[in-house]
Amino acid sequence: MLARVLAAALAAAALVCSANAQDAYVIGVTGALTGPAAGTNGPPIEGLRLYVDRLNASGGINGKKIQLTVLDDQGEPSKAAANAKRLLTQENVSLLVLSSLSSTFAPVIAETRRANVALMLMGAVCPKEVYPPADLLQFCTTAYAGGYDSRATLAFIKETAKEPVRIGFAAMAIPLSRGEIDYAEEQAKAMGMTPVDKEVIPPPTADYTPFATKLKDANPNWIFSWAPWVTQVKTFEALRRLGWEGDYITWAHIEAESELARLKDGKFYVIGANSLFQDNLPIHKQIVEEAKKANIRYPAEQMTEGWIGGLVLEAVLKAGGWPADAAKVRAAMENVKVDTQGLRGGPIEWSKENHFRTRQYYRVYRWDPAKSAVAVTKDWVAYDVK
Amino acid sequence: MSRSPRASGYFRTSYDQDLALVQTRLERTSLGVFIVALLAFPLIASPFQLDLACQVFLASIGSLSLMLLTGYAGQISLGHAGLLAAGAFTVGILFREANAPFWITLPAAAAVGGLLGIIFGLPSLRLRGLYLAVSTLALHFVVIYLGGEYEARRGFSTGIVIDPPKLGGVSITDARAWYFILLGAAAATLLVCLNLLRARTGRAWRALRTRETVAEALGIGVASYKLLAFVISSAATAVAGALFAYYRGFVSVEAFSLFLTIQYLAMVIIGGMGSLLGALLGAIFVTLFPYIIEIGLLALPGAQRHASLLFAMNYAAFGLVMILFLMFEPLGLVGMWRRMQSYFLLWPFKHRPAAGSRG
Amino acid sequence: MQLIANITVLAAIYALLACGYVLIYRVSRVMNMAHGELAMLGAYLLYTTASLFADHPVSAIAAALVLSLTVGVLVYVALMRKMTGQMVLAAILTTIAIGILLRGVIVLIWSASQQHPLQVLKFSNPSIELIGGARISTCAALMVLATVAVYGALFAFLRFGRWGMRLRAAGQNPLLAAQRGINLNAIYALAWALSTLTGSIAGMLIALDSGLDQTMVVIGLKAFAPALVGGLDSLLGALLGAVIVAAAEVLAIHYIDPLLSDVVPFLVLIATLIVRPWGLFGTREELDRV
Repeated sequence: MLARVLAAALAAAALVCSANAQDAYVIGVTGALTGPAAGTNGPPIEGLRLYVDRLNASGGINGKKIQLTVLDDQGEPSKAAANAKRLLTQENVSLLVLSSLSSTFAPVIAETRRANVALMLMGAVCPKEVYPPADLLQFCTTAYAGGYDSRATLAFIKETAKEPVRIGFAAMAIPLSRGEIDYAEEQAKAMGMTPVDKEVIPPPTADYTPFATKLKDANPNWIFSWAPWVTQVKTFEALRRLGWEGDYITWAHIEAESELARLKDGKFYVIGANSLFQDNLPIHKQIVEEAKKANIRYPAEQMTEGWIGGLVLEAVLKAGGWPADAAKVRAAMENVKVDTQGLRGGPIEWSKENHFRTRQYYRVYRWDPAKSAVAVTKDWVAYDVK
Repeated sequence: MSRSPRASGYFRTSYDQDLALVQTRLERTSLGVFIVALLAFPLIASPFQLDLACQVFLASIGSLSLMLLTGYAGQISLGHAGLLAAGAFTVGILFREANAPFWITLPAAAAVGGLLGIIFGLPSLRLRGLYLAVSTLALHFVVIYLGGEYEARRGFSTGIVIDPPKLGGVSITDARAWYFILLGAAAATLLVCLNLLRARTGRAWRALRTRETVAEALGIGVASYKLLAFVISSAATAVAGALFAYYRGFVSVEAFSLFLTIQYLAMVIIGGMGSLLGALLGAIFVTLFPYIIEIGLLALPGAQRHASLLFAMNYAAFGLVMILFLMFEPLGLVGMWRRMQSYFLLWPFKHRPAAGSRG
Repeated sequence: MQLIANITVLAAIYALLACGYVLIYRVSRVMNMAHGELAMLGAYLLYTTASLFADHPVSAIAAALVLSLTVGVLVYVALMRKMTGQMVLAAILTTIAIGILLRGVIVLIWSASQQHPLQVLKFSNPSIELIGGARISTCAALMVLATVAVYGALFAFLRFGRWGMRLRAAGQNPLLAAQRGINLNAIYALAWALSTLTGSIAGMLIALDSGLDQTMVVIGLKAFAPALVGGLDSLLGALLGAVIVAAAEVLAIHYIDPLLSDVVPFLVLIATLIVRPWGLFGTREELDRV
């Protein structure tokens, strides 16, 4: 009996929350730093941290530093909800950043609604609530987004294909990937291509060969896959092992650049909204340098999403002024235009109605066997976001 | 079950006194102090600490039911997370499809849990030990698969969002309200478990656990008591899952992994098998453990860098602690508590009087 | 024809992993739930030795095999030895806890991102054409060969080798075996070492074939079903169980629904438990200690 009292008292005492630095912008981040989604969602958070550390080192914004509180949710919805609750009610953050699986969105959004704090999705797929007309509190800087990705990919396929397209699809058995591939299938039919097969693959699969077998048997000449990177690339490798020779196009997740160099396959295309580091723009050089100085665990080329998030955060906080509370930050976010310095095809512009961007740019890369390097296959194509 | 009195000069003169939960004056006072502390806690706690307390209460409902099944009735079950998922999904499905209020969904969750308990319990009639554990494990995967299929087919791409329960038109969202609700639920579960164990059912379960053939020979219906254990335990677990769904306002199949089952088993083992106090202590320990690790990690220099390793550290530390308890402290936290207690009670003596010499 | 090739490869994966479960269970009646994690550890060890011995792939592989043997012995000596004679639940939970600890340690040392030992070893993995137009990759073919070799070696060892006979004796009746002068601790350590070795071989080949990340643990868990279907103390049963489960899985993926691939092994498991709990070739037993 007494033990319970002691235990409860100890627990309460041990968990005194850290003192809040009153003299800084307080930004909360919850993301899949570890767990199955860490490959795609961990690096953006590191990139954001890199950017914020650099900002703080040069004096901060409006003379104040940024305090970034990062919590790990392992891609699990209940942990994300607990993190959000803690950041919003205890740390009193003015802005919440989320970089995790789509299953964490609903509970986190519910928490932000209760606290009336804006939510910035960075590195996590953009939900349709950020397209116009946008939800009041949700903003998204991430490259990939449902609907537009498929349209851009199918347009590229139609343009590049030299013969009538028989198209196959590969998705992961998570609802977002399935939904997007279903949409792509419809669009493909409308564009005059022949969808021949669609495979939905469960996340922790040992052997992708059975799924690849079914795909190959349907004899497509193009295959489009929109799913987490592991599914995309393993399906491709299994197909090649089975002797399929066609063209494979897939979304350029952050792992894409190094994987292109590893696979060395001229018919493996990646389409994405971020420029790859092989372009060697000044911004890329800067990021590489910063990453080396800070001794980051991830390769420098995976820092793009986080850096873009940092650019947007800087612009927002600068516009918001000081002191900034949640409402002022949100108001500032509705009116922001950020030059991505070449990391994307164009600027990120947010308005009251559009929390995604006014134009989404796409580029297609592949490994060029002749040059033995990653090369741009199709330069920036813009889609107006309506 | 009668316990040896801890106060001298205290004699029990009737069966009722013997069975009573609170016997001596010391026990009454400490229980009173404890209840006052629990009720006063929300007045001084931060929202984060309230959230932790609510998590502990939810965990204790689950661990109490698992303790009944595994600690007392002796049936190993690796399907705990599946039962929690079943309760949560019942609430989610009923809410989404029929907009049912909580006084329908909670009993429905209990009913679904009971039904699943029969299914999970049927193998126990033929199998024992390892094979029973494996069959419950397999059933867990089937339940999770069905939940995932429901989510996918009905288009709940990011999980099912549930509105907070309404009582007389007022939504229950305040953290303090939830604290008291969950405290009440945990206390109710504890009382139910205590009473079950004091009664015929508890005695039958203990007999089952010790020697099944002898129990059968004594006339205890082995099959019916085994199934009863599964049904009661599963119903309670499903209710825990349902409350969890309402508390988080959200249901998704990823939250119910095998690791969750292992955490509950750890609660039972670390707490101490065969003791309800053990279930509670284990629940507190396992729920608070990740936060303690986090505080410890953040206290080290270079804290924020290590934040990305937190999950792995948690896993490793959790596994290590489990192994240490299993190897060196098989009686669990309750064993440690009892040792501490006997040290003070018996002082200045070191050992209890030898068996056969009362007094 | 491709279907048969796929079934064979999957059966080989399951069989290699299942024999690890069988070895330990047969000898000490302990269910090693950490087998998937140990297999994963073996693959990560290969990744490290490959990076260390960059230009000597053969020594890298040999070093990794030796390391996994030692890991198996260490796990027994340091952890499992204390659990002999305890309740079944405690032993199972200890192995589960070891698995959790290994998972955490692996992420701490090697990070959670995907690795490619194939690249580090500078091997290539071309696909081979078989009769009937089916294709499998080189590593998959190696996996099948390895399974055959491992099983052949194990059968010969258990039947004719002196320590093999001692293993079987310890499995049948530990008390008598101990009184006969067989060092039970050494036998158990040997069983754990062999089990970890075969698991590591499976893990390494899977990693070479399709990359190395944390999902290998799930394969380890799924491979438990074939072990049980065949009978937890029978190697022949494990082989047959692997074929049955692999066939069920591939055919279900192909003809019914690809999403069933995760659930099929467990459905087969449930069916076996209902019809014949001790598996195809297992010994009928009553597990009374709980």
